[in-house]
Amino acid sequence: MKIVASYSNKGGVGKTASSVNLAHGLAQSGLRVLLCDLDPQGASGFYFRVKPSKKLTDERFFTDVKRFTDSIRGSDYENLDILPSNLTFRDFDVFLSRMKNSRSRLHKALKSVASDYDIVLLDCPPNLSTLSENVFASADAILVPVIPTTLSERSFEQLLEFFAETKLSKKKILGFFSMVQGTKKLHAETIARMRQDYPKRLLDIAVPFSTDVEKMGVHRAPVATFAASSPAARSYDALRHELQQRL
Amino acid sequence: MTGSERMTVFDGAELPERLDGLDLGKGRILLEPAAEEMEFDLLDTFDGQVAAKGALLVAAGDALVLLEPQGLLRQERAAPGFVSDLPQGPVTERLRRLVSPLRTLMRVAEGHLTRQAVRGVDDLDKTHLRGTLWVFAPICGGTVSLLEMAALRGYAPTLARLEAALAPVVEDIHDARGAAQALRGTGASAPVLMAPDETAFRAAGDIIRSQLAVARQQEPGVLADLDSEFLHDYRVALRRVRSVVSLFKGVYSAERTTELKARFGAVMAHTGRLRDLDVYLIERDKYLSLVPEAMRPGLGKLFDRLAAERQAELKVLTAWMDSDAYRAELHGLARLFEKPKRLAKGPEAERPALDYAKTLIWKRYRKVNKIARGIDDATPDTEVHELRIACKKLRYLIEFFTPLFDDPEVPRLVKALKRLQDNLGNFNDYSVQQAALGRVAEDLARDPGSDGVAIATSLGALVTVLHQRQMEERARITSSFAAFDGPDTQAGFRRIFKPEEGTA
Repeated sequence: MKIVASYSNKGGVGKTASSVNLAHGLAQSGLRVLLCDLDPQGASGFYFRVKPSKKLTDERFFTDVKRFTDSIRGSDYENLDILPSNLTFRDFDVFLSRMKNSRSRLHKALKSVASDYDIVLLDCPPNLSTLSENVFASADAILVPVIPTTLSERSFEQLLEFFAETKLSKKKILGFFSMVQGTKKLHAETIARMRQDYPKRLLDIAVPFSTDVEKMGVHRAPVATFAASSPAARSYDALRHELQQRL
Repeated sequence: MTGSERMTVFDGAELPERLDGLDLGKGRILLEPAAEEMEFDLLDTFDGQVAAKGALLVAAGDALVLLEPQGLLRQERAAPGFVSDLPQGPVTERLRRLVSPLRTLMRVAEGHLTRQAVRGVDDLDKTHLRGTLWVFAPICGGTVSLLEMAALRGYAPTLARLEAALAPVVEDIHDARGAAQALRGTGASAPVLMAPDETAFRAAGDIIRSQLAVARQQEPGVLADLDSEFLHDYRVALRRVRSVVSLFKGVYSAERTTELKARFGAVMAHTGRLRDLDVYLIERDKYLSLVPEAMRPGLGKLFDRLAAERQAELKVLTAWMDSDAYRAELHGLARLFEKPKRLAKGPEAERPALDYAKTLIWKRYRKVNKIARGIDDATPDTEVHELRIACKKLRYLIEFFTPLFDDPEVPRLVKALKRLQDNLGNFNDYSVQQAALGRVAEDLARDPGSDGVAIATSLGALVTVLHQRQMEERARITSSFAAFDGPDTQAGFRRIFKPEEGTA
């Protein structure tokens, strides 16, 4: 089993959309996928019409393996299951930070379902916290969507610095450009500069800004299910392909 | 998590209508509009072994599908036959556990099949349940619907709601057995009913009629030589008829009893040799494994001869069974029991069945004990033979009168008796086989042919092994009886079967 985190220390960068479309694409390719909605502001569960689970409303979540596995819901798509988010998820990082040895707890919880899945995809909350650290430690790859703007460039630098400080392996970080607008000069310049500065940390993927991705909220389904030939769907597929190569 | 993650529901023709749009509280059932239409064959053994194990074997399109409550297995379609002749696959693998290797699979029903995808969704149209609805409309027989439904992970409670919603409306088809009966148009075979106060005469007639019907149902299978068990079941049914005639003493007049025994005996006599040959051929592999490697080719040639003899014997039997004389005789015998006035009653005819049954069973039980207690390791084999016959008669009597003794202990007593019978039966089989092989050896001496020497040598080896086995069984007989003669079994027989004082 491989663990892939979808993470950004900046909000509104298309992280949840990538998680949802990536999870769907991986499952379509025949892998058994579990998408964990860990982001209280995210909505990966929403896009799959999975209602928040009542069973996750207390703090025993990561300590009680059975409660964890019982909360998993099958999606409408073959090979794809969802661990839905819950309102009290926002307390998770706080909760985890209070615990000693929290570093290994998430890993243990994930291991308990390992036999069921080929890939566990974590849609992570957008901050650098104990939960994030947990995720970084246990993940095999960390996908980081980056809008090609100066602000996002700084966030990406901060993430790399955080990895250096906490002695985490930078090799896990796989950045890709998100919400790219071809008409914007700034986008093109930022992409060129960042590719030069971080050649190994950035995949050759640029997901375009697209109304099809916005329409996911209307359809409540992955973009490939209603706009399979759109540029957005095609670049998510390329992202899936790149990721599978790296794993 | 509550409830299971998959379910199978059987019903009649109305299930699709009941399902479509069925309200599940927070959701509903949707039938997908695209349905597959095709012809189907229901496959089973003649005696319905697949259905008896809770499964349906269906050939439809290019697939062979085994439907069981725990799920569905599928492999490429092939013509039905013995399981050992089916191509490898998950269905074949599973059938090995469900079906006797002696019975052939055959088409027992055919018709039209509609297959449709079914979903259970919630108020957001999120899928909770997925499944398939099968509607079998046979040419003869009644329509059967089958819904197999599985919950997506985490949605077992929705499945429980569906189960609860369907429970109050489903018809009397509850399982594969009921479904197969409906599709085959046979209905459940009605057990022989018996009241404690009905006459012994009536009880005898009821048993004989039902066994005669069973025998006649086997005839097409015997004539077509589908498998060996048609003839076997034919013989078992007729043997039961004969047993009723001879064991129910005094129910029919003495002359009638003698006549019936002779007539049924004459019918059975035609089938004896073929059955013997069937038994040898069924045991072919076992016999081969009993002798040393070097002897096997010779023995193989013997079996080839027996197989050829069987084909010849089959021709003789089927010619007879297909004759007007046979049909007239069976028809005549059946008519006797349809209008019981045609049968002269004996002195015991009017006795109440329960009272009569106890007398017969108790007497036979005591006879078994008497013979058995006289047997030690030095007793001649003829006595052992007699014990075997007595046990067999006791078993038949208990089985005939089963409906009268609704006592949970009866199956235990029968089981104890059966263990003793197994031992005695093995002893007898080994003895009979040695005698039969002796006759083969004599025939061989007259007409050795080119294989004569090889066969004779292997025969010698086989007889030696069989004799050894027979001795082993013989050595166990006293301890087998001691096990049967335990205080619990004694007390059970006494309590259930001993007649009231003064009536025995």
